[in-house]
This record gives sequence, C-alpha cells and structure tokens, in this order.
Amino acid sequence: MEPLPSDLMSFPAKYKMATALSINNLSFTYTSWTQKQLEPLFTDLSLELKEGSKTLLLAPFNKGKTTLAKIICGVCPKYFPGALSGEIQVFGKDLSTLEPWDLLSQCTYVAQNPQEQFVSTSVEEEVAFPLESMGMEVQEMRSRVNAAIQTWGLHDLRSSSEQELSGGERKRVLLAIMQAIDAPIWLLDEAFDDLDQKWRDQLKAMIQNEKKTVLVLASRYLEEFNDLFDSVLLLDEKKVLQASVSNVLSQFAHLCGDDLPNPLHHERCNIAQEKTLVCADLYAERVRVSTNTAAKFNLEIKDFSLKSGELVTLVGPNGSGKSTFSRLLCGLDAPLEGAISVDGKALVSKQLSKKVGYLFQSPDLQIFLPTVYEELAWSLQRNSNLKRKEIEQQVTECASLFSLDLSDTPTTMSYPQRKALQAAVYYLLDRPFYVLDELDSALTYQAALSIIARLRHKGAGILLITHDRQFAQMVTTRSYTIQDGRLQAV
Amino acid sequence: MTTNTFVAGTGWLYRFDPRAKLLLMVLMCVWFFLPVSLIELSTVVILVVLVGLYNAGWKLVVRTFLSILPMLIFMVIFSPFNVRTGSPLIQIKSFTLITEQGLEQALRLMSRFIGITYVCTLLFATTPMHEVMLALRWYRLPYRASLVVTLAFTYIPFISDSFSQISESHRLREADDETKKRFFTRLKDLLPTLTSALVVALRSIPNLAMSLELRGFGLENRRTSFHDLSSYPYTFTHFVVSCMIPLALWFGRSIF
Repeated sequence: MEPLPSDLMSFPAKYKMATALSINNLSFTYTSWTQKQLEPLFTDLSLELKEGSKTLLLAPFNKGKTTLAKIICGVCPKYFPGALSGEIQVFGKDLSTLEPWDLLSQCTYVAQNPQEQFVSTSVEEEVAFPLESMGMEVQEMRSRVNAAIQTWGLHDLRSSSEQELSGGERKRVLLAIMQAIDAPIWLLDEAFDDLDQKWRDQLKAMIQNEKKTVLVLASRYLEEFNDLFDSVLLLDEKKVLQASVSNVLSQFAHLCGDDLPNPLHHERCNIAQEKTLVCADLYAERVRVSTNTAAKFNLEIKDFSLKSGELVTLVGPNGSGKSTFSRLLCGLDAPLEGAISVDGKALVSKQLSKKVGYLFQSPDLQIFLPTVYEELAWSLQRNSNLKRKEIEQQVTECASLFSLDLSDTPTTMSYPQRKALQAAVYYLLDRPFYVLDELDSALTYQAALSIIARLRHKGAGILLITHDRQFAQMVTTRSYTIQDGRLQAV
Repeated sequence: MTTNTFVAGTGWLYRFDPRAKLLLMVLMCVWFFLPVSLIELSTVVILVVLVGLYNAGWKLVVRTFLSILPMLIFMVIFSPFNVRTGSPLIQIKSFTLITEQGLEQALRLMSRFIGITYVCTLLFATTPMHEVMLALRWYRLPYRASLVVTLAFTYIPFISDSFSQISESHRLREADDETKKRFFTRLKDLLPTLTSALVVALRSIPNLAMSLELRGFGLENRRTSFHDLSSYPYTFTHFVVSCMIPLALWFGRSIF
C-alpha cells in the first residue's frame, strides 16, 4: 500500500476538480503530561479531498483518527497540546491563519463522543447555537432548526436537556446541527455508532444525496459503508495509505485482528453452578423533567430470562428503553411493579447489584483510581475473606489475562485498554450475570469478543446491548428486541 | 458537559417574566439580611419553600434540601460555639456549652442559607437557561459575561451529575460479602469518587472550549437570538409585583 502522493497538490488547478481539503506532509506528536517523549502520531501524512467527494478513512484504534479530525477543525493542538507541522488548506485557505470559529460555515465535525460537543441546555438551543453565532436572520434560523429537528426525529425532545437523552439521541442532535449549519465539508467521526438501523440508513442516504465533501472516520467497517464512498483509505503507520478497496479492507481486517479465530469459538465456559435470572411483569417509568411535551416513557417487561453461560443480545432503536432496563437489572433503579429473581428468589436492588455486573458504555465512569493495580484490587480489598497475598495473586493473574500493565495510570491509557480494565474489574468481582452496554462501540470486533470470552469463562450469563446487527449475529443464538419499552424474544 | 436545572411546570412562577424574576431573586436575597426577628425570617423562608412546593413540586424541594443538608449540619454543630455571650442554655459544670444567643445566631444563619438557596434554585428551576441568558442581556450584561454566568450554573450540576454516576459505579463494585458500611469507610470511599469527578470535570474543560469555538463562539459579527422574551407581555406588571413582594413582606411583619 502506498501513501497518498503529496505532489497531487502540485497539479495545475485546471486539470483537477476543486479541492475542498488538502493536507500536506502533516506531522503531529502529543505533548506528554509527564514530559515523556511520545511517539509521533503522524509523520508526513498527506490527504486530499476533492469537492463533493465521499471518503472513508479506516483506522484501527489509537492511530489518530479523532486527532486528525480535531487538527482539521483547528482545535488541536490549540486545546490538546502537541507539536504540529505541515500544511493544511480548507478551500485554499491556510488553516494556520484561521481560528476554529472561522471554519463554522466551512466544515462541521461530528465527534465520536457526542457528550463532548454539547454546550446548551436543550436540543433546540443546541441546534440554534451555531446559527446564532453566524448572525443568521431569525426566520431563516427557525426554518433550518425546525427542518433539522424534524429530519432527525427530535420533535418531542426539542426542550429536553442533554442528560435526558440516550446515546443515539445525542448523536442525532449532532447530525441535526450538521444539517442546520449546512457547511460544505462534513467530518464524521464514528458517526454511525450509537445510531439504530433507521437512523443509520438515513445518514447513509444523506451522505449519498447531499453534494457535500464527506470524510467518514471509522474504526470498523460496517455493512452500511458498502457502495457509499468514492474512495476508501487506511490510516496506518502514521500515514494515510491508498490502494484498491479490497486491499484496504483486507489490510484493515488484519490490523484489527478480524482474520484471527473468533475467541468465542474455542472458549470453554466453566459453569460451577447453574443460575437463572428471570424478570416477570416488570413495570418502570422514565420521566424527562425538563419538558412537558414529551410523552411519559413506560417500560413493560413481561418475560425475560438469562441463564449461566448464555450470551443473549438486546437490540432496539435509540431511546427504546435499553438503558432503563439495564439499570433495573443491576439494581441501580427499582421497578414500580414486578420482580427480578435469581433461581426463583426475588431480589431487591442492593442484592441485584451484587449479582449483575453492568459495564457502562463509557469506561471512564467506572474506573477512578491512580493505578491499574489499585483499580483491580479495590473490590477485592473489601472482601473480608481474602488475604493480601491472595489479592496480589488474583490481581496479577487478571492483569495478565487482560494484557494490562499494573503500574499504568488508567486515565492516560488508550480507550480499548480502559475498556479492558473496566472488564477486568468485573471479571475479578465474579458476578454470575453481566450486562454489557454497547461494548462493541469504539472497539474492534476482536477486542469486544475477547472481553466477552473472558467474562464468560467462569460461566457468567451475558446480556449484550448492541446496534450492530453484524456483531449481534456473530456472537449470539438468542436475542431480544425492545421497542417503545416493550421487550420481545426473537 | 452542561446539565439543565430547569424542571418543567405550569405554576405562576413559570409565567413570571424572567427579567422581573431575576430582580425578585436579588431583592429576596437582600431581604434575608434585613434586621428582622428570627420568627419573621423563618416565616418568610417557609413561604418561599411553599412557593417552591406549589410551583416546582416536592421532589425539587426535597432534593434541594438534601443537597444543603451537610452544610446545615455543620452550621448546627459549630456555629453555636462561636457565640460565648448571653444566657447559658447548656452548661457542663462551670463551662457554658451553648448560649441562647448562640443558638439564635445558628438558626438565623441556617434560615438565611435555606432561604437564599431556595430563591436561587427556584429561579433556575422555573426559567429555561436561555431565558436567564436573555434576561441578563436585557440588563445590558455583555454576551460573553452572560454566557459565562449561565455556563457556570449548568457546569456545576454537571460535576454533581458525574459524581452521582461515579457513586453508582462504586455501588456496582461492592464485594459480595460487603454489608452496611461504617461511617469512616464511607468517608474513605468519598475520596476516590471526588477525585474521579474532578478528573471528569477537568477533562471536559478543553472539550467545552473546543465545542464553543466550533459552534462559532469568537466570531465578531452581530449575534442573533433564536428566542426572545416576547411571550411575556406583562413585563411592567411583573416588575411592580417583584418590588411589591419584598416590600409587603417587610411592612407586613406586624402580622407575624
């Protein structure tokens, strides 16, 4: 595979389409907090996007996909310090002479983690904020905001605040902002993640139909990407590499470990004692306190069961009640009616939290200590039956199993490593059941499958929440769907 | 990175002009420092709490009280000792532990604290943040300053939200045989939770700055506004009411 030739930019303008974005010989190295010399993330990276082109840039984790997007938007190294060299031009203007706000009407960035982009307290305000900044006339602004809100199905949520939205709803808000701004360049970082099938299809149609320059950054190749892009590139070895689509995909699959055997196939599940988790006639409500307009959401679960060693998936649209159900299962919330029982014994919230481990979508809310060792030992130290030697032994074995370095600082570790640490913490807790909330989001299939295999090793029953049909089919034989708070076995 | 403080409702405070409400909030905060008796002060505090109950519901009233409870406990425990003069209430042999004046001062301090907390909470619970922003701008506060004020009032609840989520995560990580925790264990557990909440907050600062600039904060052209305050037609009447309420409470003290 070859790096994109930097002399592409030297062709006379009359021989090529107008260039929307060009990056020439870009090098970037993050500045370490600890003054440690870090490896460069990019060296002599070049990339050119023609006006109206649709490009997919695949990158395995930690290869700088998000950093590249932030550099293009002008916010890195401004807010994420590092040494940057090279030349970036947006519609012929040198990026080094521009501020991030100058790019508002030129380029819209949809972040992988939607939470990091919210600045207002309601959906409507969030969509209107950039238009207000542009000084747009009120009539025009209203029409754009209404259209975007309508397109992305946010009408009932217009006055809802960010913390009351699900992950997919948050992503839709960012896409509505992108639509409202109507900039000629769209930078979409894992924009398909978190979205259910309906909205994935809509985003795909939008990319196809709108005459925009689109750069989609992704760490997994999804079914939806088929026939969507003019070119598929690979970010590896600190450069953007180009080749035929099939070559890029096979190289990418190799880098992600997708050509390795599925860890679930040769994994042995050691069930010491068979247990069954059953939910019967559960009823719960979710209220959005910031709005009067949204209908009250009711969750009704007639029948749900999960046995030791089972791997069951739960698939459903955004806002259908997956997280509400998960919170009930692990005892963070109590149902208004019905009961959750293990082996026929109904359990209260406090008991449930010791039976069902819940891996939040974001690992950062579940890891909080200075070193990996302390993180892993935290729960074991609270177990009165364990001696210090035993704790040390268990922690060391677990770290080796999950390929973790005990002296590492969790907050500075990469995302997949933090996710592995989060799983390792629960592995040591040895819960009989686990709920994995969108584990596959922002992880390679191989990394996600390895985590599942390890958690299941001791015979735990696993409920996996996912939007990715491909992944769901890969891992499970039994599945539930949830729609408008109603659960159904498939 | 911002948490909404608005609680949807239909009470009269929701229909009150935000500009007048802002004035009322300031006047009420001043009122709590006027030279009034403890009974008068407590009665006004109770009235404010009742207004909160009627407009925003008991959940908000209880949640607000619980959030200031640790502070109130500190006040009850420590402030009576600061006043050594006056008639003794509790004595251990010749040592006076608490005096009547000491107790009164503690109660007065608590009443003011509760009153001011509820008045401010009610403003933000019954007014959408963009209307607070518009009201501040109506008072000629520059846009940047108004944004800083409103961001501060949404960022603090965000940190509190992160704290709750991290606490939930702790709960899920309790050992199997862990029973009811002792006070010191709870206190010890608070440290990593606070540290993580702080880390989450610190990590979100560059993201917030990044997002504001990517949304055009910094552009020098005239900023337009999606919303306006034209849905409040009785601005003058509301201003009069805002001035009348503290005056009525002052002159009506003889009734208490």
